[in-house]
Amino acid sequence: MAGGASSNRQRSKIAPYLMILPALAYLAIFFVVPFWSLFRTSLSSSGGSVYLPTLTFAWDFGNYAQALTAYQDQIVRSLTYAFAATVISLLISYPLAYAIAFKSGRYKNLLLGLVILPFFVTFLVRTLAWKTILADDGVVVHTLGSIGLLPSDGRLLSTSWAVIGGLVYNSMTFMILPLYVSLEKIDPRLLEASKDLYSTGYRAFRRIILPLSIPGVLAGSLLVFIPAMGDFINADYLGSTQTTMIGNVIQKQFLVVKDYPGAAALSFLLVAMILVGVLSYTRALGTEDLV
Amino acid sequence: MANQINPGLISQFAIARTTRRRFLGGSAAAAAALALAACGSSSTPSPSSSSAPPPDDGKAASGNLRISNWPLYMADGFVAAFQKASGLTVDYKEDFNDNEEWFAKNKDPLSRKQDIGADLVVPTQFMALRVKGLGWLNEISDTRVPNKKNLRPDLLNDPGDPGRKYTAPYMTGMVGLAYNKAATKRPITKIDDLWDPAFKGKVSLFSDMQDGLGMIMQSQGNSVADPTMDGVQKAVDLVKEQKDKGQIRRFTGNDYADDLAAGNIVVAQAYSGDVVQLQADNPDLEFIIPESGGDWFIDTQAIPYTTQNQHAAEAWIDYVYDRANYAKLIAFTQYVPVLSDMTDELNKIDPKLGANPLINPSDADKAKLHTWASLTDEQTQQFNTAYASVTGS
Repeated sequence: MAGGASSNRQRSKIAPYLMILPALAYLAIFFVVPFWSLFRTSLSSSGGSVYLPTLTFAWDFGNYAQALTAYQDQIVRSLTYAFAATVISLLISYPLAYAIAFKSGRYKNLLLGLVILPFFVTFLVRTLAWKTILADDGVVVHTLGSIGLLPSDGRLLSTSWAVIGGLVYNSMTFMILPLYVSLEKIDPRLLEASKDLYSTGYRAFRRIILPLSIPGVLAGSLLVFIPAMGDFINADYLGSTQTTMIGNVIQKQFLVVKDYPGAAALSFLLVAMILVGVLSYTRALGTEDLV
Repeated sequence: MANQINPGLISQFAIARTTRRRFLGGSAAAAAALALAACGSSSTPSPSSSSAPPPDDGKAASGNLRISNWPLYMADGFVAAFQKASGLTVDYKEDFNDNEEWFAKNKDPLSRKQDIGADLVVPTQFMALRVKGLGWLNEISDTRVPNKKNLRPDLLNDPGDPGRKYTAPYMTGMVGLAYNKAATKRPITKIDDLWDPAFKGKVSLFSDMQDGLGMIMQSQGNSVADPTMDGVQKAVDLVKEQKDKGQIRRFTGNDYADDLAAGNIVVAQAYSGDVVQLQADNPDLEFIIPESGGDWFIDTQAIPYTTQNQHAAEAWIDYVYDRANYAKLIAFTQYVPVLSDMTDELNKIDPKLGANPLINPSDADKAKLHTWASLTDEQTQQFNTAYASVTGS
């Protein structure tokens, strides 16, 4: 009897480890190993033949210095675009998520379905569709031009705004869903109680709803900001030669210039910037509970 | 309003179908991931000398042939007709999207002599010669390709591959300028027209170094047949100046065609065949070779040394090099034939084909077209890096 109980206990001790094993193995193979290899590449110097270069690990921090000086414009631009996309996305998504969570009644599932619906179409096609919508000779530009919101030679496509708009559009679902989840969890009785205590609607929002939805704001912001920082599709299709982001540079360095150490260094700078941004953001919002 | 949007949307995707070197972000991402993975391996096997094909047993080719070609570079029914004529089965893939991207994806398996999933590939000549230089191409047997006699003499004697032992030209085309005459309201004749302030933000250049810089170097009095770093740098500086002014909207692959048709771009660096195809929908589009000169591109069929069916690949090349068969390909791609004396066969399909100056260019046009010298590895790397500093930043 006693022996059986202890083996049971042992098994239950091992069980959690067994359960995380597949995920750990996956992470080790597809994240840790490539990450380590990329890190080594970023500090390597390349020599030998042009097309099959020999990469020698050399603690070559010059790759980082060079990447920073050569591409600081793109780094700053990526930060700006990603930040703008996150803020705009949050401003649009919050009222929407709020309405779905509190005001939609029996249409709740329908509305949630509509939020996810664009994802049934591939990312590339959705972005190309925006290209058509915003085209110089398109109906949007003509309409805005005729009511004086755009100068006559103005354009929407191939501007910073088109790129930021594309980033917002392609990532909004990732903002709405976490916001909805955190808003939906809020107990309506808290709001009733606040009313009983003569709180105004605004005050109830500021003191109850906003603080309780912060985990959703945080999760949504991260899900929008992180992919936006590394994005190159929106800048490629909706942008111009003046709107290249760091993702475009990395792509070009890897595929055309084949400067692997430089490209790897840029990739690591990107990771570092995202990490710093995310850490300071989570600190500022002071939450450990993501959703 | 809806009626205004829909035709644009439809034409955008219709045009996407007709473009050849379309650069798909998705595949680029996949390639980037592969390139990342590739960075882990730092071994550099020394390139072997070019490979010898398997010994010829004299038997007819049999089995399966895997072809990797550019999108929309194949006439309808052509592959089926070849299968019927040869008894081979063909696995035809349109997965060749970009030369450098293809190289980035396949150089590691090729360097280890691992199968790349294709027995015949169709890179542009500079890429084929690079791969040949690395020792990764098999020689194409002359006896297995008797129709090689139909090849244009000027192509047969190309200094990059004299006698065409390793690279069998598939299509040649002109790199020039395309413009929408309804939008420019005047003819475009020279490179300087690209920098007209009236076209600010409405000009696109190729992101490919040779196709993008070639005509600009020529407009500055430099030669692509004997390029120097100074000449390249001068052209890069001009492009950078215009880019910083906001004159250049995009650096493109084949996707300039979408923007040209949609009116976002009014003057573009362009490939001749694309424009012939686009003219069918938009008669306002014109293709010209700049006064100071344009250049040729040559896409070539090559057999990687990892091929699993050398003889079938040779049988394919021989079939393509039959004039009647080849005319069907030209009628579809609208590029310039690599075979000589094609006019009769083309006119049999459509009397207008043989007379089309973009398929059968005049001697005056030909005199303005030049071919890039075959560059050393170091030159390619230097020139690419210089141009990428403008296109990729």
